[in-house]
Amino acid sequence: MIPILVKREFTSRVKGAAYIITTILGIVVFVGSSFLPPLLQRLSESMTPSHIDLVIYEQPGESSILPYLEQVSVEREGFTVRSGSDLDEREAYRMVLDEGLSGLLLVDGPLYTLVSPDVSNVMLNDEIETILNLAVSRQNAVRLGLSAEDMASLFRRADLRVREVSPLGVDGEEVDSAAHTQAMVLAYFLLFMIYMALIMYGNMVASGVAEEKSSRIMEVMISTVKPLELMLGKIIGVGSLGLLQFLIWTGTGLLMNTIGASGALGMVLGVSEPLSTIPLDTVLWFGLYFVLGYFLYASIFAAAGALVSRVEEVSQVVSIIMMLIIVGFFGAYISFLNPNSTFAVAASLIPFTSPMVMFSRIVLGSPSVLEVLASVLILLASVLVGAWVSGKIYRIGVLMYGKRPTLRQVLTLVRG
Amino acid sequence: MSLIATEITKRFRDVTAVDNLSFSVQRGSLFGFLGPNGAGKTTTMRVVLDIIRPDEGQVTWDGTPFHRLGRGFFGYLPEERGLYPKMRVVEHLEFLGRIHGLDKRKAHIETARWIERFDLGELRHKRIEELSKGNQQKVQTIGTMLHDPELLVLDEPFSGLDPVNTALLKEVLLEAHKRGKTIIFSSHRMDQVEEICEDIVLIDQGHLVLHGNLKQIKRSMGRQILRISLEGNEDFWYKIPGLELLASRADYQEFRLGENADPNSVLREAMQAGQVIRFELVEPSLDQIFVEKVGVGA
Repeated sequence: MIPILVKREFTSRVKGAAYIITTILGIVVFVGSSFLPPLLQRLSESMTPSHIDLVIYEQPGESSILPYLEQVSVEREGFTVRSGSDLDEREAYRMVLDEGLSGLLLVDGPLYTLVSPDVSNVMLNDEIETILNLAVSRQNAVRLGLSAEDMASLFRRADLRVREVSPLGVDGEEVDSAAHTQAMVLAYFLLFMIYMALIMYGNMVASGVAEEKSSRIMEVMISTVKPLELMLGKIIGVGSLGLLQFLIWTGTGLLMNTIGASGALGMVLGVSEPLSTIPLDTVLWFGLYFVLGYFLYASIFAAAGALVSRVEEVSQVVSIIMMLIIVGFFGAYISFLNPNSTFAVAASLIPFTSPMVMFSRIVLGSPSVLEVLASVLILLASVLVGAWVSGKIYRIGVLMYGKRPTLRQVLTLVRG
Repeated sequence: MSLIATEITKRFRDVTAVDNLSFSVQRGSLFGFLGPNGAGKTTTMRVVLDIIRPDEGQVTWDGTPFHRLGRGFFGYLPEERGLYPKMRVVEHLEFLGRIHGLDKRKAHIETARWIERFDLGELRHKRIEELSKGNQQKVQTIGTMLHDPELLVLDEPFSGLDPVNTALLKEVLLEAHKRGKTIIFSSHRMDQVEEICEDIVLIDQGHLVLHGNLKQIKRSMGRQILRISLEGNEDFWYKIPGLELLASRADYQEFRLGENADPNSVLREAMQAGQVIRFELVEPSLDQIFVEKVGVGA
């Protein structure tokens, strides 16, 4: 029975305009994003100032910053500096405007003020600030009697390596921080996929059920098919549509990845290596949590769809479910920072958040086998309970028209 | 007896839709299910088909509860019609055949046969939403019979059909009846029920009012209806006690005969009043029974 329902759901939607448009839109995004990095690069190049001309107007004092700025201008291409101290302030302004210079730097003791005809050019301001800091630290070094080597050693950064110690007393492998960043970006990308899929296809399930109610086909269906079968047919049908869409998109991404070094996924993941570097176990965990999470949420969405009479009312009832998904998403996001915190561990056990949080933790940290097992089992149990409860709501809800029942009435339905 | 409903009660919050209702339907009969609006007809049908569970009582077919009969056993046309609007006619009918248990090939063959029978050939590849209401109803009616069910439950099957299609559906139903299928249908049109039903049940406010063979019910009501046509003084009946005028038709007048009125004395009075063309004692129509028992028009 279920295969017939799945097939109907699939074939009637796969040819629909909405489905085709979102699929094509996704392809456009994937293809487009592979052309994006070179484009962005060119754009940022065009925005960085090619040449900086500064006039320095100094109050007479003990030591001048000018020599140090001149020193920097020798080493740095595209930066020139001249003194304006022989002019009066008004004349200096004139000069900046007339000669189209980048700005006038007023120096009064430790206070520096940039007077520029283009104050909103943040990139220019940043660049000038960098140059100024360089000059100031050199000035300070001379004042303190430090050599160039002293300066270099003062600003040398520590090289921190991270190594994990496991409870078994065996030294863990050294954590490659680049690899960790890559894992984090990958986890974030896949997390976002789960989040998107839950919301998109969950809503599709809810509105599908509401459509069946409003077109009144439901009574015929329910007289022939068990409510649970009907619900599962809808969930699996929509799920298979989602799967096809994701396969098309991932395929496009892979293709673009192989074609150009700066492929779509490469860009998204922040790496130019091919996708084959995504470990297989990550893909498998993704699959498991994706499927379980989808089943849990889709059955709740289906029950919500069964409680309304018209498609227009769907968005009102699904908003609560959407909140749960968003909480899960942000929970996972917070867990990124410390995957083994109490918060992350708790969130990875709660079925509404675990698909997103536990998956992120697996990719990022290394939760214990017991934690993973507990999370999967709790989630699996919740999927079964969720389907059962939703099936009951569905059975009664589908024949209920008119006023939407209150939460208390729904609970009575489930108990009865 | 095949279908036996025993003491069904169904409440919705504080409203009792069906109250301790028992009736039975013989295998192979054409069964009329009657009652005024809101009498509990749809609820009873839903209980029979196990769409909703009764609070009390049960419905069995040859002793088997309905939910164990399998999905190919009955065909159901609900009062609220509904199909998937985006599906095409052929596609939809094959789908309905499949969920009622037909295999792919059989669903295909039966769909083609019924489309031919109901003259929907030109619309076969149209979407349901492009069809007129009447044609949508035809498609849905086919959907209830495609798998040749033992029991057909049809809620107002004739409403919305033009006379040609009404005649066609009647023909199809009588054909199924001849092949021994059991058909339960509800209708507001008493003349239609009278024309094709053998047995009826009449309910009002969830209670059983009448149940049994239509002929016997009529006979038990007594021959109380008198039709008289005469040339002469048509107002002669004023003087006769117990005679109540029900309707003045173009060619006759219809009276209800009170208990103390004697048809023979009425005839004598009529003969004195003029030339009697027609003098007939008839059984009450189902319409009249309905009005008498329920108190309102159908």
